[in-house]
Amino acid sequence: MRNLINFFFRYSAWILFIIYVVASCFLLFRNNPYQQHVYLTSANTVSAGVYSASASLTAYFNLKDINEDLQRRNADLELELLNMRGTLAAYKEKDYDNTVKPDTTLARYSYVIAHVINNSVNKSHNYITLNKGELDGVKPEMGVVDQNGIVGIVNLTGPHSARVISLLNPNLRLSCKVKGHNHVGSLVWEGGDYTSAILEELPKHAEFEEGDTIITSGYSTVFPEGVPVGVVTKGMRDHDENFYTLKVRLFTDFSTLSTVRIIGDSMKEEIDSLERTSIEPNKKF
Amino acid sequence: MSKTLLKFIFLALILIIVQVVGLNHFCIFGVAMAFAYIYLIIHLPLDLNQNWVLTVAFFTGLIIDIFSDTLGMCCLSCTILAALRKPVLRLYIPREEELTDPCPSMSSIGTSVFVRYSLTMAMLYCACLYLIDAFSFFQPVRLALRIVGSTLLTWIVLLAVDSIVSRSDEKRL
Repeated sequence: MRNLINFFFRYSAWILFIIYVVASCFLLFRNNPYQQHVYLTSANTVSAGVYSASASLTAYFNLKDINEDLQRRNADLELELLNMRGTLAAYKEKDYDNTVKPDTTLARYSYVIAHVINNSVNKSHNYITLNKGELDGVKPEMGVVDQNGIVGIVNLTGPHSARVISLLNPNLRLSCKVKGHNHVGSLVWEGGDYTSAILEELPKHAEFEEGDTIITSGYSTVFPEGVPVGVVTKGMRDHDENFYTLKVRLFTDFSTLSTVRIIGDSMKEEIDSLERTSIEPNKKF
Repeated sequence: MSKTLLKFIFLALILIIVQVVGLNHFCIFGVAMAFAYIYLIIHLPLDLNQNWVLTVAFFTGLIIDIFSDTLGMCCLSCTILAALRKPVLRLYIPREEELTDPCPSMSSIGTSVFVRYSLTMAMLYCACLYLIDAFSFFQPVRLALRIVGSTLLTWIVLLAVDSIVSRSDEKRL
Protein backbone atom coordinates (compact mmCIF):
# COMPACT_ATOMS: atom_id res chain seq x y z
CA MET A 1 0.00 0.00 0.00
CA ARG A 2 2.78 2.33 0.98
CA ASN A 3 4.60 1.39 -2.18
CA LEU A 4 1.51 2.11 -4.16
CA ILE A 5 1.19 5.58 -2.63
CA ASN A 6 4.87 6.19 -3.23
CA PHE A 7 4.41 5.10 -6.76
CA PHE A 8 1.55 7.54 -7.24
CA PHE A 9 3.60 10.35 -5.73
CA ARG A 10 6.64 9.64 -7.80
CA TYR A 11 4.76 9.40 -11.05
CA SER A 12 2.05 11.91 -10.19
CA ALA A 13 3.20 14.17 -13.00
CA TRP A 14 2.86 11.41 -15.55
CA ILE A 15 -0.50 10.34 -14.20
CA LEU A 16 -1.73 13.88 -14.26
CA PHE A 17 -0.38 14.30 -17.75
CA ILE A 18 -2.24 11.25 -18.92
CA ILE A 19 -5.41 12.41 -17.21
CA TYR A 20 -5.18 15.82 -18.89
CA VAL A 21 -4.44 14.30 -22.26
CA VAL A 22 -7.38 11.96 -21.95
CA ALA A 23 -9.61 14.83 -20.88
CA SER A 24 -8.40 16.93 -23.81
CA CYS A 25 -8.95 14.10 -26.24
CA PHE A 26 -12.40 13.57 -24.79
CA LEU A 27 -13.24 17.23 -25.31
CA LEU A 28 -11.65 17.20 -28.72
CA PHE A 29 -13.48 14.21 -30.08
CA ARG A 30 -16.69 15.10 -28.42
CA ASN A 31 -16.98 18.64 -29.63
CA ASN A 32 -15.24 18.83 -32.95
CA PRO A 33 -17.13 17.14 -35.73
CA TYR A 34 -14.11 16.87 -37.97
CA GLN A 35 -11.88 15.19 -35.41
CA GLN A 36 -14.80 13.07 -34.33
CA HIS A 37 -15.34 12.00 -37.88
CA VAL A 38 -11.66 11.23 -38.39
CA TYR A 39 -11.54 9.42 -35.08
CA LEU A 40 -14.61 7.41 -35.84
CA THR A 41 -13.57 6.51 -39.32
CA SER A 42 -10.07 5.61 -38.25
CA ALA A 43 -11.52 3.71 -35.35
CA ASN A 44 -13.77 1.98 -37.80
CA THR A 45 -10.80 1.12 -39.97
CA VAL A 46 -9.04 -0.31 -36.97
CA SER A 47 -12.07 -2.19 -35.74
CA ALA A 48 -12.79 -3.38 -39.24
CA GLY A 49 -9.25 -4.73 -39.43
CA VAL A 50 -9.64 -6.41 -36.07
CA TYR A 51 -13.02 -7.79 -36.99
CA SER A 52 -11.88 -9.12 -40.31
CA ALA A 53 -8.85 -10.71 -38.68
CA SER A 54 -10.96 -12.31 -35.98
CA ALA A 55 -13.57 -13.32 -38.54
CA SER A 56 -10.96 -15.01 -40.68
CA LEU A 57 -9.81 -16.85 -37.57
CA THR A 58 -13.21 -17.83 -36.26
CA ALA A 59 -14.35 -18.81 -39.74
CA TYR A 60 -12.27 -21.92 -39.31
CA PHE A 61 -14.07 -22.79 -36.12
CA ASN A 62 -17.38 -22.29 -37.85
CA LEU A 63 -16.43 -24.53 -40.72
CA LYS A 64 -17.78 -27.54 -38.91
CA ASP A 65 -21.20 -25.98 -38.48
CA ILE A 66 -21.17 -24.70 -42.01
CA ASN A 67 -20.19 -28.11 -43.23
CA GLU A 68 -23.06 -29.67 -41.33
CA ASP A 69 -25.45 -27.13 -42.75
CA LEU A 70 -24.20 -27.82 -46.21
CA GLN A 71 -24.49 -31.54 -45.69
CA ARG A 72 -28.05 -31.11 -44.53
CA ARG A 73 -28.82 -28.90 -47.46
CA ASN A 74 -27.12 -31.37 -49.75
CA ALA A 75 -29.19 -34.18 -48.31
CA ASP A 76 -32.37 -32.17 -48.87
CA LEU A 77 -31.42 -31.47 -52.43
CA GLU A 78 -30.47 -35.07 -53.04
CA LEU A 79 -33.79 -36.16 -51.67
CA GLU A 80 -35.52 -33.71 -53.97
CA LEU A 81 -33.46 -34.96 -56.87
CA LEU A 82 -34.37 -38.52 -56.04
CA ASN A 83 -38.04 -37.64 -55.89
CA MET A 84 -37.73 -35.91 -59.23
CA ARG A 85 -35.98 -38.92 -60.67
CA GLY A 86 -38.70 -41.12 -59.28
CA THR A 87 -41.35 -38.99 -60.95
CA LEU A 88 -39.36 -39.06 -64.17
CA ALA A 89 -38.92 -42.80 -63.92
CA ALA A 90 -42.65 -43.21 -63.36
CA TYR A 91 -43.33 -41.28 -66.56
CA LYS A 92 -40.71 -43.31 -68.40
CA GLU A 93 -42.32 -46.47 -67.14
CA LYS A 94 -45.62 -45.30 -68.48
CA ASP A 95 -43.93 -44.66 -71.80
CA TYR A 96 -42.27 -48.02 -71.74
CA ASP A 97 -45.57 -49.57 -70.82
CA ASN A 98 -47.16 -48.10 -73.91
CA THR A 99 -44.39 -49.21 -76.25
CA VAL A 100 -44.27 -52.82 -75.17
CA LYS A 101 -46.43 -54.88 -77.48
CA PRO A 102 -48.64 -57.42 -75.86
CA ASP A 103 -46.77 -60.69 -76.21
CA THR A 104 -48.83 -63.70 -77.12
CA THR A 105 -46.99 -65.76 -74.53
CA LEU A 106 -47.87 -63.18 -71.96
CA ALA A 107 -51.55 -63.14 -72.75
CA ARG A 108 -52.35 -64.95 -69.57
CA TYR A 109 -49.96 -62.82 -67.73
CA SER A 110 -49.98 -59.28 -66.54
CA TYR A 111 -46.90 -57.38 -65.71
CA VAL A 112 -45.75 -54.56 -63.55
CA ILE A 113 -42.93 -52.30 -64.68
CA ALA A 114 -40.32 -51.73 -62.00
CA HIS A 115 -36.96 -50.14 -61.58
CA VAL A 116 -33.95 -51.80 -60.14
CA ILE A 117 -32.85 -49.79 -57.14
CA ASN A 118 -30.20 -52.19 -55.90
CA ASN A 119 -28.32 -54.89 -57.64
CA SER A 120 -25.21 -56.95 -57.33
CA VAL A 121 -23.38 -59.31 -59.60
CA ASN A 122 -20.23 -60.04 -57.73
CA LYS A 123 -21.45 -61.89 -54.66
CA SER A 124 -21.98 -65.61 -54.31
CA HIS A 125 -25.68 -65.05 -53.68
CA ASN A 126 -26.96 -62.05 -55.56
CA TYR A 127 -30.19 -60.23 -54.92
CA ILE A 128 -31.94 -57.41 -56.70
CA THR A 129 -34.19 -54.82 -55.12
CA LEU A 130 -37.04 -53.28 -57.08
CA ASN A 131 -39.03 -50.13 -56.43
CA LYS A 132 -42.43 -51.80 -56.66
CA GLY A 133 -44.07 -53.69 -53.86
CA GLU A 134 -47.30 -55.13 -52.60
CA LEU A 135 -49.21 -51.93 -53.24
CA ASP A 136 -48.31 -52.26 -56.90
CA GLY A 137 -49.49 -55.84 -57.01
CA VAL A 138 -46.14 -57.53 -56.59
CA LYS A 139 -46.22 -60.81 -54.70
CA PRO A 140 -43.59 -63.35 -53.83
CA GLU A 141 -42.79 -65.96 -56.45
CA MET A 142 -43.54 -63.70 -59.34
CA GLY A 143 -41.08 -63.85 -62.19
CA VAL A 144 -38.97 -60.89 -63.20
CA VAL A 145 -37.77 -60.38 -66.76
CA ASP A 146 -36.24 -57.51 -68.66
CA GLN A 147 -36.25 -56.81 -72.38
CA ASN A 148 -33.55 -59.44 -72.96
CA GLY A 149 -34.48 -62.32 -70.74
CA ILE A 150 -34.93 -63.72 -67.30
CA VAL A 151 -33.82 -61.69 -64.32
CA GLY A 152 -35.03 -63.57 -61.27
CA ILE A 153 -37.91 -64.35 -58.98
CA VAL A 154 -39.49 -62.15 -56.37
CA ASN A 155 -38.58 -63.38 -52.95
CA LEU A 156 -39.82 -60.83 -50.44
CA THR A 157 -42.11 -57.86 -50.82
CA GLY A 158 -42.59 -54.72 -48.90
CA PRO A 159 -45.27 -52.11 -49.49
CA HIS A 160 -43.12 -50.20 -51.97
CA SER A 161 -40.24 -52.51 -52.73
CA ALA A 162 -39.49 -56.09 -53.52
CA ARG A 163 -36.45 -58.27 -53.19
CA VAL A 164 -35.71 -60.49 -56.10
CA ILE A 165 -33.55 -63.58 -56.08
CA SER A 166 -31.31 -62.91 -58.99
CA LEU A 167 -30.60 -65.56 -61.55
CA LEU A 168 -27.09 -65.10 -60.31
CA ASN A 169 -27.94 -66.96 -57.13
CA PRO A 170 -27.35 -70.69 -56.66
CA ASN A 171 -30.59 -70.89 -54.65
CA LEU A 172 -32.56 -70.24 -57.79
CA ARG A 173 -33.11 -73.14 -60.11
CA LEU A 174 -35.00 -72.44 -63.27
CA SER A 175 -36.77 -75.00 -65.37
CA CYS A 176 -35.58 -74.47 -68.95
CA LYS A 177 -35.46 -76.20 -72.26
CA VAL A 178 -33.69 -75.93 -75.54
CA LYS A 179 -35.85 -74.08 -77.99
CA GLY A 180 -37.59 -76.48 -80.36
CA HIS A 181 -37.24 -79.49 -78.06
CA ASN A 182 -39.07 -80.43 -74.96
CA HIS A 183 -36.29 -81.86 -72.88
CA VAL A 184 -36.29 -79.92 -69.66
CA GLY A 185 -33.23 -79.11 -67.62
CA SER A 186 -32.50 -76.99 -64.63
CA LEU A 187 -30.67 -73.71 -65.03
CA VAL A 188 -28.46 -72.69 -62.18
CA TRP A 189 -25.69 -70.21 -61.68
CA GLU A 190 -22.49 -71.56 -60.30
CA GLY A 191 -20.92 -68.31 -59.29
CA GLY A 192 -18.10 -66.44 -60.88
CA ASP A 193 -18.91 -65.10 -64.33
CA TYR A 194 -22.19 -63.19 -64.32
CA THR A 195 -22.71 -63.59 -68.05
CA SER A 196 -23.13 -67.34 -68.02
CA ALA A 197 -24.95 -70.11 -66.16
CA ILE A 198 -25.23 -73.86 -66.31
CA LEU A 199 -28.16 -75.89 -67.58
CA GLU A 200 -28.03 -79.13 -65.65
CA GLU A 201 -29.91 -82.37 -65.70
CA LEU A 202 -30.65 -82.27 -69.37
CA PRO A 203 -31.39 -85.88 -70.40
CA LYS A 204 -28.58 -87.37 -72.38
CA HIS A 205 -30.83 -88.10 -75.31
CA ALA A 206 -31.70 -84.43 -75.65
CA GLU A 207 -30.60 -82.81 -78.88
CA PHE A 208 -28.88 -79.52 -78.98
CA GLU A 209 -26.20 -77.63 -80.76
CA GLU A 210 -24.00 -74.82 -79.70
CA GLY A 211 -25.81 -71.60 -80.35
CA ASP A 212 -29.23 -73.01 -79.57
CA THR A 213 -31.48 -70.74 -77.59
CA ILE A 214 -32.52 -71.75 -74.12
CA ILE A 215 -36.04 -70.73 -73.12
CA THR A 216 -38.17 -71.20 -70.05
CA SER A 217 -40.18 -74.38 -69.92
CA GLY A 218 -43.37 -72.95 -68.59
CA TYR A 219 -43.63 -75.78 -66.10
CA SER A 220 -44.35 -73.41 -63.29
CA THR A 221 -46.55 -70.41 -62.75
CA VAL A 222 -43.54 -68.20 -62.32
CA PHE A 223 -42.54 -67.71 -65.92
CA PRO A 224 -44.58 -68.31 -68.99
CA GLU A 225 -43.21 -70.71 -71.53
CA GLY A 226 -40.78 -69.44 -74.09
CA VAL A 227 -39.12 -66.57 -72.31
CA PRO A 228 -35.58 -66.45 -73.70
CA VAL A 229 -32.82 -67.19 -71.23
CA GLY A 230 -29.60 -67.53 -73.17
CA VAL A 231 -27.68 -69.46 -75.79
CA VAL A 232 -25.73 -72.66 -75.48
CA THR A 233 -22.04 -72.05 -75.67
CA LYS A 234 -20.68 -75.44 -74.69
CA GLY A 235 -22.08 -78.83 -73.91
CA MET A 236 -20.47 -81.28 -71.57
CA ARG A 237 -21.29 -84.56 -69.93
CA ASP A 238 -22.11 -84.68 -66.27
CA HIS A 239 -19.98 -86.83 -64.08
CA ASP A 240 -22.60 -89.56 -63.79
CA GLU A 241 -22.98 -89.39 -67.56
CA ASN A 242 -26.74 -89.73 -67.58
CA PHE A 243 -27.29 -86.05 -68.05
CA TYR A 244 -25.85 -83.30 -70.09
CA THR A 245 -24.67 -80.12 -68.63
CA LEU A 246 -24.73 -77.09 -70.89
CA LYS A 247 -22.95 -73.87 -70.46
CA VAL A 248 -25.35 -71.06 -71.26
CA ARG A 249 -24.49 -67.47 -72.04
CA LEU A 250 -27.27 -65.40 -70.51
CA PHE A 251 -29.12 -62.81 -72.57
CA THR A 252 -29.66 -60.61 -69.59
CA ASP A 253 -26.88 -58.23 -68.81
CA PHE A 254 -27.09 -58.13 -65.06
CA SER A 255 -24.51 -55.41 -64.70
CA THR A 256 -26.68 -52.83 -66.49
CA LEU A 257 -30.05 -53.85 -65.21
CA SER A 258 -32.52 -50.99 -64.90
CA THR A 259 -36.09 -51.39 -65.99
CA VAL A 260 -37.67 -54.79 -65.52
CA ARG A 261 -41.08 -56.37 -65.80
CA ILE A 262 -42.60 -58.37 -62.99
CA ILE A 263 -44.84 -61.02 -64.40
CA GLY A 264 -48.08 -61.84 -62.67
CA ASP A 265 -49.91 -64.99 -63.60
CA SER A 266 -53.67 -64.73 -63.32
CA MET A 267 -53.92 -68.51 -63.26
CA LYS A 268 -51.32 -68.92 -60.57
CA GLU A 269 -53.72 -69.45 -57.71
CA GLU A 270 -55.82 -71.80 -59.71
CA ILE A 271 -52.88 -73.92 -60.77
CA ASP A 272 -51.34 -73.84 -57.32
CA SER A 273 -54.55 -75.03 -55.69
CA LEU A 274 -54.89 -77.71 -58.29
CA GLU A 275 -51.40 -78.91 -57.72
CA ARG A 276 -51.84 -78.81 -53.98
CA THR A 277 -54.69 -81.27 -54.17
CA SER A 278 -52.45 -83.89 -55.75
CA ILE A 279 -49.34 -85.33 -54.21
CA GLU A 280 -47.03 -82.44 -53.38
CA PRO A 281 -44.54 -82.25 -56.21
CA ASN A 282 -41.04 -80.96 -56.02
CA LYS A 283 -41.36 -77.38 -56.90
CA LYS A 284 -39.13 -76.38 -59.73
CA PHE A 285 -38.76 -72.88 -60.91
CA MET B 1 5.20 34.02 -3.46
CA SER B 2 1.86 35.79 -3.50
CA LYS B 3 3.40 38.61 -5.47
CA THR B 4 4.70 36.18 -8.06
CA LEU B 5 1.29 34.51 -8.12
CA LEU B 6 -0.56 37.77 -8.57
CA LYS B 7 1.86 38.80 -11.25
CA PHE B 8 1.34 35.51 -12.98
CA ILE B 9 -2.46 35.75 -12.80
CA PHE B 10 -2.33 39.27 -14.17
CA LEU B 11 -0.03 38.15 -16.96
CA ALA B 12 -2.33 35.22 -17.73
CA LEU B 13 -5.39 37.46 -17.92
CA ILE B 14 -3.61 39.92 -20.22
CA LEU B 15 -2.26 37.22 -22.51
CA ILE B 16 -5.55 35.36 -22.74
CA ILE B 17 -7.47 38.55 -23.50
CA VAL B 18 -4.90 39.57 -26.11
CA GLN B 19 -5.08 36.14 -27.66
CA VAL B 20 -8.86 35.87 -27.65
CA VAL B 21 -9.63 39.41 -28.74
CA GLY B 22 -6.69 40.09 -31.00
CA LEU B 23 -4.40 37.34 -32.13
CA ASN B 24 -7.10 34.75 -32.77
CA HIS B 25 -8.45 36.91 -35.59
CA PHE B 26 -5.03 37.63 -36.92
CA CYS B 27 -3.80 35.33 -39.59
CA ILE B 28 -1.02 36.16 -42.04
CA PHE B 29 -1.44 34.70 -45.57
CA GLY B 30 -3.98 32.32 -44.14
CA VAL B 31 -1.23 30.22 -42.65
CA ALA B 32 0.60 31.99 -39.85
CA MET B 33 -1.01 32.56 -36.49
CA ALA B 34 0.48 33.73 -33.21
CA PHE B 35 -0.11 31.97 -29.91
CA ALA B 36 0.96 34.41 -27.24
CA TYR B 37 -0.51 32.46 -24.30
CA ILE B 38 2.16 29.80 -24.45
CA TYR B 39 4.40 32.36 -22.87
CA LEU B 40 2.57 31.45 -19.66
CA ILE B 41 3.77 27.88 -19.88
CA ILE B 42 7.25 28.90 -20.94
CA HIS B 43 7.49 31.44 -18.19
CA LEU B 44 6.33 29.21 -15.31
CA PRO B 45 8.95 28.93 -12.57
CA LEU B 46 11.32 26.02 -13.00
CA ASP B 47 11.02 25.00 -9.35
CA LEU B 48 7.28 24.69 -9.61
CA ASN B 49 5.90 21.19 -9.17
CA GLN B 50 5.32 19.45 -12.51
CA ASN B 51 1.73 18.73 -11.47
CA TRP B 52 1.05 22.42 -11.18
CA VAL B 53 2.71 23.09 -14.49
CA LEU B 54 0.47 20.54 -16.17
CA THR B 55 -2.62 21.84 -14.43
CA VAL B 56 -1.91 25.44 -15.35
CA ALA B 57 -1.19 24.49 -18.92
CA PHE B 58 -4.33 22.42 -19.19
CA PHE B 59 -6.59 25.12 -17.87
CA THR B 60 -4.94 27.83 -19.93
CA GLY B 61 -5.59 25.73 -22.98
CA LEU B 62 -9.13 25.07 -21.84
CA ILE B 63 -9.89 28.78 -21.48
CA ILE B 64 -8.45 29.53 -24.90
CA ASP B 65 -10.44 26.64 -26.30
CA ILE B 66 -13.66 27.90 -24.81
CA PHE B 67 -13.15 31.31 -26.37
CA SER B 68 -11.93 30.14 -29.75
CA ASP B 69 -14.46 27.29 -30.01
CA THR B 70 -11.84 24.62 -30.56
CA LEU B 71 -12.61 22.55 -27.49
CA GLY B 72 -9.82 20.09 -26.72
CA MET B 73 -7.22 21.16 -29.24
CA CYS B 74 -5.41 23.80 -27.18
CA CYS B 75 -5.91 21.76 -24.01
CA LEU B 76 -4.08 18.83 -25.50
CA SER B 77 -1.34 20.93 -27.07
CA CYS B 78 -0.71 22.89 -23.90
CA THR B 79 -0.60 19.75 -21.78
CA ILE B 80 1.90 18.15 -24.13
CA LEU B 81 3.94 21.37 -24.20
CA ALA B 82 3.99 21.51 -20.40
CA ALA B 83 5.20 17.93 -20.27
CA LEU B 84 7.95 18.70 -22.77
CA ARG B 85 9.03 21.94 -21.13
CA LYS B 86 11.59 20.47 -18.77
CA PRO B 87 13.28 18.15 -21.27
CA VAL B 88 13.60 21.06 -23.73
CA LEU B 89 15.09 23.32 -21.10
CA ARG B 90 17.59 20.61 -20.14
CA LEU B 91 18.85 20.72 -23.72
CA TYR B 92 19.97 24.32 -23.25
CA ILE B 93 20.67 24.75 -19.54
CA PRO B 94 22.22 21.66 -17.96
CA ARG B 95 22.35 23.12 -14.46
CA GLU B 96 19.10 24.65 -13.19
CA GLU B 97 20.42 25.58 -9.76
CA GLU B 98 22.52 28.44 -10.97
CA LEU B 99 19.53 30.49 -12.08
CA THR B 100 18.78 33.60 -10.06
CA ASP B 101 15.19 33.87 -11.26
CA PRO B 102 13.35 30.57 -11.50
CA CYS B 103 11.11 31.90 -14.27
CA PRO B 104 12.79 31.41 -17.66
CA SER B 105 13.15 34.70 -19.47
CA MET B 106 15.80 36.52 -21.47
CA SER B 107 17.21 38.11 -18.33
CA SER B 108 17.24 34.96 -16.24
CA ILE B 109 18.62 32.35 -18.65
CA GLY B 110 20.31 34.58 -21.17
CA THR B 111 19.16 35.84 -24.55
CA SER B 112 20.66 33.16 -26.73
CA VAL B 113 19.34 30.31 -24.60
CA PHE B 114 15.92 31.90 -24.32
CA VAL B 115 15.75 32.52 -28.08
CA ARG B 116 16.48 28.87 -28.78
CA TYR B 117 14.21 27.70 -25.97
CA SER B 118 11.28 29.80 -27.09
CA LEU B 119 11.77 28.82 -30.71
CA THR B 120 11.76 25.12 -29.80
CA MET B 121 8.70 25.50 -27.63
CA ALA B 122 6.85 27.50 -30.27
CA MET B 123 7.69 24.91 -32.88
CA LEU B 124 6.56 22.04 -30.66
CA TYR B 125 3.34 23.79 -29.82
CA CYS B 126 2.50 24.69 -33.39
CA ALA B 127 3.35 21.21 -34.59
CA CYS B 128 1.12 19.73 -31.90
CA LEU B 129 -1.74 22.07 -32.54
CA TYR B 130 -1.78 21.80 -36.29
CA LEU B 131 -1.34 18.06 -36.25
CA ILE B 132 -4.32 17.78 -33.93
CA ASP B 133 -6.19 20.25 -36.09
CA ALA B 134 -5.47 18.45 -39.34
CA PHE B 135 -5.55 15.05 -37.66
CA SER B 136 -4.10 13.54 -40.78
CA PHE B 137 -1.34 14.10 -43.30
CA PHE B 138 -3.84 14.83 -46.00
CA GLN B 139 -2.27 18.13 -47.12
CA PRO B 140 1.32 17.82 -45.96
CA VAL B 141 2.61 20.96 -47.71
CA ARG B 142 -0.09 23.18 -46.27
CA LEU B 143 0.37 21.56 -42.89
CA ALA B 144 4.13 22.25 -42.96
CA LEU B 145 3.56 25.82 -44.12
CA ARG B 146 1.13 26.46 -41.30
CA ILE B 147 3.49 24.95 -38.74
CA VAL B 148 6.51 26.89 -39.95
CA GLY B 149 4.66 30.18 -40.39
CA SER B 150 2.94 30.00 -37.05
CA THR B 151 6.13 28.95 -35.33
CA LEU B 152 7.99 31.99 -36.61
CA LEU B 153 5.15 34.37 -35.79
CA THR B 154 4.62 32.87 -32.35
CA TRP B 155 8.32 33.02 -31.70
CA ILE B 156 8.45 36.72 -32.53
CA VAL B 157 5.41 37.36 -30.34
CA LEU B 158 7.00 35.36 -27.51
CA LEU B 159 10.19 37.39 -27.72
CA ALA B 160 8.16 40.60 -27.73
CA VAL B 161 6.07 39.55 -24.76
CA ASP B 162 9.20 38.48 -22.91
CA SER B 163 10.93 41.77 -23.53
CA ILE B 164 7.85 43.63 -22.26
CA VAL B 165 7.54 41.45 -19.16
CA SER B 166 11.28 41.61 -18.40
CA ARG B 167 11.32 45.37 -18.79
CA SER B 168 8.34 45.79 -16.48
CA ASP B 169 10.17 43.58 -13.96
CA GLU B 170 13.30 45.65 -14.25
CA LYS B 171 11.33 48.87 -13.83
CA ARG B 172 9.71 47.54 -10.75
CA LEU B 173 13.07 46.57 -9.38
